Amino acid sequence: MSDQGIKSRPKYAPLELDPAGRHHLLLVEGPALPAEALAEGFEPTAFETWTVVNRSALLPVSVVDTQGESVRPFRANGHLFSALEERLARETMGLRLYAIGSEPFLWDVFRIADKAGMSRQEIRLAHAGSKARRVFCVHCRTYGEGVTTSIFTCGGCGANLFVRDHFSRRHAAFMGVQVDAEVPGAVPDAEELYA
Amino acid sequence: MIASGPIPVRIHEIEQLSPTLKRFAFAPLHGGPLPTPSAGAHVLVTLRHEGRVMKNAYSLVSPPESRARYEIIVRHVAQSRGGSRFLHQSVARGDVIEIGVPGNLFPLAAKARKHLLIAGGIGITPLLSYVPALKARGARFELHQLCTADEAPVFEKLLAPHAAGEDIFIHGNGRAAFDLAGILARQPLGTHVYTCGPRALMDAVITSAVALGWPSGKIHRESFGDASGGLPFKAVLAKSGIEIQVADNQTLLEALEAQGIAAPCLCRGGACGECKLDVLDGEVEHRDDFLSAEEKASQKFMMPCVSRARTAQVVLDF
Ligand code: FES
Repeated sequence: MSDQGIKSRPKYAPLELDPAGRHHLLLVEGPALPAEALAEGFEPTAFETWTVVNRSALLPVSVVDTQGESVRPFRANGHLFSALEERLARETMGLRLYAIGSEPFLWDVFRIADKAGMSRQEIRLAHAGSKARRVFCVHCRTYGEGVTTSIFTCGGCGANLFVRDHFSRRHAAFMGVQVDAEVPGAVPDAEELYA
Repeated sequence: MIASGPIPVRIHEIEQLSPTLKRFAFAPLHGGPLPTPSAGAHVLVTLRHEGRVMKNAYSLVSPPESRARYEIIVRHVAQSRGGSRFLHQSVARGDVIEIGVPGNLFPLAAKARKHLLIAGGIGITPLLSYVPALKARGARFELHQLCTADEAPVFEKLLAPHAAGEDIFIHGNGRAAFDLAGILARQPLGTHVYTCGPRALMDAVITSAVALGWPSGKIHRESFGDASGGLPFKAVLAKSGIEIQVADNQTLLEALEAQGIAAPCLCRGGACGECKLDVLDGEVEHRDDFLSAEEKASQKFMMPCVSRARTAQVVLDF
């Protein structure tokens, strides 16, 4: 059941600088760059980097470390997203945007960039960390976060949802469809698939 | 139903805009509205002159919603292969000619947050249909028109109906005074650039935009190729053995058509790729914007609507 043969499942490649860009903004869902998401020869100093540290401690606005790397930490994803919206509204052509993180993070970034007029050619996404999914209940339109099992209970309508491999870029989520619609209560065991 | 055949039209009006520019308005011969063009569309105009049939592509300058008449602007070029000279000298009000259904190889990008329009000289024509369409959509745009000092008033007048409160700039002081890189560098994210005009200007726009990090998908050029004629040559059609003489003021496509050979074509300007032919022998002088640099270097293909043979003869797999 884990390979549902669905093509909308996005594919990701290790992150590389796009030399055609004029400036480069890298967003990391986490406090540091995960090595497994980077292509060989990746040069962090070429980027302006924003990280998510998930801490409430008072943060300096921006840190330039000894290697000349410019890093700006954010308390949480939402904090970074609102700064990103403001930043993109002021940006000029020539920017390249890069993101590393979980799928929901990547596609939230993608949605914000798309709204700001950026095209696929100007955005690079690399998946790292948890494979947990954001699931969109097609019946009641509620999102479920951090889903790691093949079947889960919708927090909105209580339906037992089967997590399809169908990924919607608009919702930045996988689709969840009621599994026992025909025979209520006939729910297969949930398998741990997306840890 | 979508009409696809030629549309007979009557020359409804001719206006001399400058010593070398004329505006022609066409009205449908049999009444009824003309097909709806999209902004940036062109029509092929069939011109019959002294036993020759020419089909030239001209951008529609009338607003897209204008279906009672289409308008084009034609520059009289001294080295013209005959099309513009014929339109300027031999066509009169009331004459009937044929045009094709509008095509569009230069459409506006639906998702653009801003449109940057850069034209040189008569390259303004497709942009004249863009501007009212953009204003109707409430879209953000900025237009730069480069021209010679003496033609500046002509283009000012053409743009005047749309100019109030808009970012429309006429540059009559030549390329040197025009800060192309500065303009491209300060455009907001989500801008698309469109350019139409002399090849050198379009190349400069594309090169500067790419150097400033613009992605190729946001750079658009209109091109009616370079069908300005050249040395005569012979084309040999390998499949039928037919030999065709291409005159100096004729394209290979026109020479094929003159022989009654139905060669595929669409834009007749080296942009759409429809007319591509396989080359078996001979060297091609490529003048199109369709083939990639590698394809051109391979000398295996040619676009007969604009390109010519560099050798005395070219053998085609046709
Ligand atoms: S007809 Fe379009 S490229 Fe020749």
